[in-house]
Amino acid sequence: MSEPAPAALPVTAGERALSLGAKCSLPVAVLLALGFAAPLVAIFAFSFATPRSFDVFRSFTLANYATLFDPSNTVWLSFAWSIGFAFATVALLAVVAYPIAFGLDRVFGRAASAMSLLFVFPLFVSENVRLYGWTLFFIKNGVLDGTAKALALAGGTDVLYSPGMILFGMVYTYLPFMLFPITLGLAMVPRDIVDAARDLGAGRLTIWREIELPLAMPGILIGMLLTFVLGIGAVAEAKILGGQSVIVISHDIEIAFTYSQNWPLGSALAVIVSVFVGALTLWGLSRLDLDRLLGRR
Amino acid sequence: MSAAPTSQQKPILQLVGVRKTFGDFTAVDDIDLDVREGEFLTIVGPSGSGKTTLLRMLAGLEKPSEGWITLAGENLNDVPPNRRPTCLVFQSLALFPHKTVGENIEFPLKVKGVAAAARKERALELMRVVRLPESYYAKNVMKCSGGERQRVAIARALAYDPAVLFFDEPLSAIDYKLKKILEKELKDLHKETGKTFIYITHSLEEAMVMSDRIGVMRTGRLVQVGTPEEIYARPVDRFVSEFVGEVNVVAVEKGADGAWRSPDLSGPVALALPEALAEAERVELVIRPEYMRFVAEGERADNVLEGVVYNEYSLGSRVQYQVRCGERVVLVELSRSKALAASVDRTVRVGWDAADAIVVGG
Amino acid sequence: MDDTRFRTRFLVWTWTVFVLVALYLPIVVGAVASFSRSRYFAFPVKAWSIDWWAKTVDSIEIGMIVRNSFLVAGFVTAIAVVIAFFGALAFARYDWKGRSLFQKLVILPIFFPQPVLGLALLLWFSALGIQTSWMTAVFAHLVWIVPVVTLVISIQVYGFDPTLEEAAFDLGCSRWQVFREVTLPILWPGIWSGGLFAFLLSWGNFPLSLYTAGADSTIPKWLYAKMVAGYTPMVPALGTMSTLGAAIALILGGVVVLLVRRLRAA
Repeated sequence: MSEPAPAALPVTAGERALSLGAKCSLPVAVLLALGFAAPLVAIFAFSFATPRSFDVFRSFTLANYATLFDPSNTVWLSFAWSIGFAFATVALLAVVAYPIAFGLDRVFGRAASAMSLLFVFPLFVSENVRLYGWTLFFIKNGVLDGTAKALALAGGTDVLYSPGMILFGMVYTYLPFMLFPITLGLAMVPRDIVDAARDLGAGRLTIWREIELPLAMPGILIGMLLTFVLGIGAVAEAKILGGQSVIVISHDIEIAFTYSQNWPLGSALAVIVSVFVGALTLWGLSRLDLDRLLGRR
Repeated sequence: MSAAPTSQQKPILQLVGVRKTFGDFTAVDDIDLDVREGEFLTIVGPSGSGKTTLLRMLAGLEKPSEGWITLAGENLNDVPPNRRPTCLVFQSLALFPHKTVGENIEFPLKVKGVAAAARKERALELMRVVRLPESYYAKNVMKCSGGERQRVAIARALAYDPAVLFFDEPLSAIDYKLKKILEKELKDLHKETGKTFIYITHSLEEAMVMSDRIGVMRTGRLVQVGTPEEIYARPVDRFVSEFVGEVNVVAVEKGADGAWRSPDLSGPVALALPEALAEAERVELVIRPEYMRFVAEGERADNVLEGVVYNEYSLGSRVQYQVRCGERVVLVELSRSKALAASVDRTVRVGWDAADAIVVGG
Repeated sequence: MDDTRFRTRFLVWTWTVFVLVALYLPIVVGAVASFSRSRYFAFPVKAWSIDWWAKTVDSIEIGMIVRNSFLVAGFVTAIAVVIAFFGALAFARYDWKGRSLFQKLVILPIFFPQPVLGLALLLWFSALGIQTSWMTAVFAHLVWIVPVVTLVISIQVYGFDPTLEEAAFDLGCSRWQVFREVTLPILWPGIWSGGLFAFLLSWGNFPLSLYTAGADSTIPKWLYAKMVAGYTPMVPALGTMSTLGAAIALILGGVVVLLVRRLRAA
């Protein structure tokens, strides 16, 4: 049937200017306008205020940005750390999560739902609780150290409070954000195409490279984007597992807002992060067909 | 359009100049149709011919871009589906998956505010009418088989007690045997309830079996409306005749001497020209395979061709032969009892009589 | 061929189980630490005690904090479900002009680091002169959680057959009846899951609460403060209790869905 079918109940005369879909979108739109767009506008405005003041909309200066763009500013170190961590997390998680996503889609069969649940559940446990568990694990006299000592091996307390530990924490925390998009991506690979390829003589590696990977790519890219973007703003891992060894960019923003009471500077930093994250996300999402990814027939 | 309705068959539904466009695309183009009360009318046409859109307009799920639809004299254009005395059986059946068979059938009654006991009584009654066992009342509707679900959908529509029932290709996804059973049951149902049925399908076979009248649709227009007999024996053009089944088509031209000639036949072609085409210079002869016959030595026919049989198909109770005559392939159908022995590669003569050919405009 | 497939399956299972163990290890460690008698954690644990758990349960301060967490999560769930339901209809059900843009914009808050969002909201509240409290925390949670719940419900909506609504309409229902008899009952598993998600995500949320809850403390906020200064085994005790609470909520929620499904299919 080539005739288009309507998407909503028929309209009788006297029914409004806004379509039904637009009306339904209003509550969400208003919430996000007030709670997402507005704060971003606020920090944008604040970034131009006089440093260390609260005169938003009453002053305009580029001083904050000048401070930030000064090459000697440690902010660049923080940025580098944040971006570096994010990259490394994405790379590691892509490898860690892919086999699990593959399992969820193909191997676990009936157990897949239960397994998904097991992987989702940690999201509901606040991250500081989970990360602190690792602290107790790696700390002096903690599980690792204590077990080592009990077995008369050398202790390993220096693992904690290092960049490596922070990376470990990030890989740990962001696993679900890489895992579920990849699973969705793999679900988009039709089973019979894989079978057909095998029937035509392709080996496992070829099938993976020529068929699975390209077809699952939307999901994989979403997972990478999400992990990267969230990783840039990650701060709990650096604080809890890293001690003071590394200051990441979100921590810098927080310091500016709290200790330094320099809201304009903090805002400028936040603006830079937001613009970076926002641009990356909009670019990534624009290349996506969300309907297909989420299961529209 | 067929003969004017008699007083017994007054039009219950009338379409005048109905048109539906979606942007640049015209799905339904200027339809005039009178539907008689109590008749079983089937609209047939290939996919994309606009029949579903037409049905949806009748049901009120789409609004005509132009023209109007009246029921018993009242203009329906602005009446929403929930206030029309009509009911549509969807192609997907649209049974409520979260409700039982009983709840589905009772649904229109519940909406009207009928009390629970009366609803149940009516539902059981309707289940009897559509031949569903009473035990199915509390069964979840998704657990029923395809044929059973069909019946639930029909019972639900009947519970609404509409004056006109619409069916959107309900039998298209069903296997042959079940389809034949349901066709017969639908026909019986029509007789029992006495309601007007409007049915759409792409299968002419279904239409022929069940309908009082058939309307053939093509690219949004109603090409011909008539009884199954009329559609079959007196198609108004080549499209309708081909729609009914495989046919032989011979194009003939009137020569300067007034005789009709075709490139495939050596002599003049004998045909019975209908009055409507008296002035035509060029016509097409449509000869159904069952009117084409093998002309043996000593037999004669009005028009004869020579050829070689190159294929033989079994069509159940009939056999079809493909005969190559020069550039053309001629189809001949015989009943099995009259089948030729060892036909393939035989040189034969095939022919038809002038009265057996349907003449349509060229 | 079967050999490699078996090997692949074995490797995948092994790796998954390994990752799962690592995933839950810190939670288990926390639970273990909460049962240690001594104030400071040492492994292997020399003496066990449930005293710290008792202290946690008895503590008035903690009682208030738990109440706050419940309050925030409750409000977030109730509001998020309603807003996200309509959002999901706009996202997945109706074709309308701005739909594609809407889809991208709704997802944007998910792709945004929560600490930065929390700080931006803090600034926004201050600029408006709004005192931060559990109410502002509710608002902050909503900004992130509503998009997530919208997605969850949308997945259910994608599978919804629109002809069911047309059929109900054709059979005489008013618009409201169509909604009540057909749309809502069929979509409710998605709505229920969405609500569950909303509750659990709010319950365990740390970064947003940290910056926007003001003087009111939620469980994660309190835990963090104590982790930094003033550790006692009450911290892992409360943490473990909170985790158990989340697990119970999840299981109950799932049981409800299963029960209703079984009742309907009878």
